[in-house]
Amino acid sequence: MSSMEDKCFELVGVSRSFGDLKAVDDLTLSLGRGEVTGFLGTNGAGKTTTIKMLIGLIRPTAGTVRLFGEDPTQASTRARIGYMPEMAYYYPFLTVRELLAFYGGVCGMDRRTIRTRTDELLKDVELEEAAKRPLKTYSKGMLQRAGIAQALLNDPDLLILDEPFTGLDPLARIHFRNLLKKLRDRGKSIFFSSHELGETELLCDNVAIMKKGRCIYHGPVDRLAGDGGGNLERLFLEVLEKGGVS
Amino acid sequence: MKGGMRRIAALVKLSLLELWRRNDMFVLLVLALVLLVPLSLARPFGTAGATRYFDEAALLLIWGYSLFVALGTGGRLFSNEFANRTVYPLLAKPVSRGQLLLGKYLGAVAASWSALAFFYVLWALSALLRGGELLTPCFFQAFVLHATFMALAVAAAVAGSFLLTPSASATLLAILFPGMFFFGRRLLDYAENVSGVLRGLVAAVYWVAPHAEFFDMRQRLVHGWGGVEAGVFLAVVGYGVAYSAVLLLVARFLFNRKSL
Repeated sequence: MSSMEDKCFELVGVSRSFGDLKAVDDLTLSLGRGEVTGFLGTNGAGKTTTIKMLIGLIRPTAGTVRLFGEDPTQASTRARIGYMPEMAYYYPFLTVRELLAFYGGVCGMDRRTIRTRTDELLKDVELEEAAKRPLKTYSKGMLQRAGIAQALLNDPDLLILDEPFTGLDPLARIHFRNLLKKLRDRGKSIFFSSHELGETELLCDNVAIMKKGRCIYHGPVDRLAGDGGGNLERLFLEVLEKGGVS
Repeated sequence: MKGGMRRIAALVKLSLLELWRRNDMFVLLVLALVLLVPLSLARPFGTAGATRYFDEAALLLIWGYSLFVALGTGGRLFSNEFANRTVYPLLAKPVSRGQLLLGKYLGAVAASWSALAFFYVLWALSALLRGGELLTPCFFQAFVLHATFMALAVAAAVAGSFLLTPSASATLLAILFPGMFFFGRRLLDYAENVSGVLRGLVAAVYWVAPHAEFFDMRQRLVHGWGGVEAGVFLAVVGYGVAYSAVLLLVARFLFNRKSL
């Protein structure tokens, strides 16, 4: 059995209610170092609530959440993660360079490091030419790239991405997939929620499938695909209907 | 610079950029220029006494503008973060809610002060053009007290935005501050002339509501009565700082409890 040292995060018996609604129900889930896990489920299955608990935005009503063995609501714990939200929730009046300088400052990085990292990341996400334009003039794909740049700014051990492929055109999608593959090859741990089963299949070692706040499958993608010999999409539907994998 | 200070500095800079890149600040400054300059330069009947009332009116306009700036900046500081959801990626960084609150508040105060400095420079230049004295201790006191009041008003707007909707908070404070500015010092007299629940209510408002009138040096400045004693000046600054700190603690408590 792996210890907490080998895990990026661990949720044990976690539940979260909003009034009468139980968004997450008795969820136990973990992510090992260097693992890439896709977090699947229909709308309202509890994926975003789980991610919010992981990054310390909300507290669980029951159970424990540990990020690198510590409480994620403590600011210092979050120094080792990079998070990209589902939509581009950034300041439209800033340029991407100013945005990265701002987030770098918020991460406590010094100016020189911020400048070096910004130059590297703008090159990686191919936003060098648009670096002086305000974000309000960016396309959806460009904003996603700015989003991944801000998530990678502090060179995090764990990347948490909420629906990273939403709204991307095919070209941007390929580019983004390649970027994530590069990060995976560099040994980064990645946890991302998605409705894009094809992308998940291409990128992930493991998947976790949520239904009505509960995790009904957590394991390797090939095992899931191997059970029926079909693609992930068909098997995802089967798992949802059956409520689990035997 | 240590990590904590870097975080605060980044947030201050963000608030400043946010406010100065919004067009409504420039509209306000241009409006101030258009209204204040002719008002300050007017010489009714060619008498010095009459121009003083124009000076006072110009200062009253500055008070109105500054309140508008303080409530506008403070009220939008966090409501915009929540509405645009920019708070999500921000709070995923290693920054605490307390640091976020303090950094953004200091940025809003700095932006408000820069607008106030512009208004005062404009007013002082017009006074200078009419042969008045510039940079007297009274002018310095008036500016510092006004700036302290703005810090208090921004803190009230921030706390209000966590308690109420942005528009409800702005409306309430836009009534409370001018109400206290004009009638604050008469509230206890009024309380003595009424009875029952109303008496208690008026007295409670007197003791709890922020006394905007404490910071008002307009008449001293315009009529050349000179500044207040240093002890009084420091006491009023202390009152403003303490009141702002209490409001920020309330805001922090509410922010910590807020589920995102």
